[in-house]
Amino acid sequence: MAYLKWSSELDTGIDVIDGQHRRIVDYVNQLHDARERNNKDAIAEVIESTVEYTLSHFGFEESLMEDAGYALSKPHKRVHELFVKRVADLQMRFRAGEDISGELHGLLSRWLVNHIRNDDHDYVESVKRNMQRLTRETHEGGWLSRSLGRFFGGHR
Amino acid sequence: MQHLTWTSDLNLGIDVIDGQHRLIADNLNRLADAKKKGDTAAIAEVFEQTSDYALFHFGFEESLLEEAGYGLLDTHRKAHNVFIVQVHALQLRFRTGEDCVEALHTLLASWLFNHIRKEDRAYVDAVKAYLGATHH
Repeated sequence: MAYLKWSSELDTGIDVIDGQHRRIVDYVNQLHDARERNNKDAIAEVIESTVEYTLSHFGFEESLMEDAGYALSKPHKRVHELFVKRVADLQMRFRAGEDISGELHGLLSRWLVNHIRNDDHDYVESVKRNMQRLTRETHEGGWLSRSLGRFFGGHR
Repeated sequence: MQHLTWTSDLNLGIDVIDGQHRLIADNLNRLADAKKKGDTAAIAEVFEQTSDYALFHFGFEESLLEEAGYGLLDTHRKAHNVFIVQVHALQLRFRTGEDCVEALHTLLASWLFNHIRKEDRAYVDAVKAYLGATHH
């Protein structure tokens, strides 16, 4: 399966989210590279990083959706949970010695693009409206760095 | 196998769901292309896409129907589960080398034209009422 290329249809127009999505796409491509090099340590490392970062991203995104009162927050969150479960299952098989890197790469490449393009785009209007309101009410958007700190800790 | 064009009568008017449903049409077209080229890897990919679709789209839709308090949720969930079992059974046969392209095509086409057009359409009023009430 080929490299993922960022295309403008993946942009949500919410900078902080687009930055996180781009980083996940980078991780997916790093997984592709590690597989090409057949480097087991690198594969293990990139799987860990991808999963950890994606979980932080989901948490952050869910809090944005909920704060905005986005009507489909719960179904969206359900999809994140299903994805996390599917990936945790793959990770377990990986730790047991099975080579699931191709399966994981396939899942990420297929699912991620569809999810960003369709499901994430659906919350954009609600979230943007709410972000504008919060930025107006609290100066310098301090709420944003607080939220980021909550989900990403030291490394954003 | 003919290419399928998405027609507006397949839209439910709930954008995020309509977008997810279009993946079925995309898969039907990918399957037709793969068959024409005899591309087994591409057929395997359509199976994977279909399994992902079933997991994530059904999860989304069922959660939405729960939220909306849709009365026929149990029946709807059963229809989803039957589809999952059918796809999985076909995928197993495909992996043992059987040519399942026609069977998968028939299954996806009937899903699009029967389930989406009839069973999904039946929940539209309930979901729209729910979304209208919670919209901020």
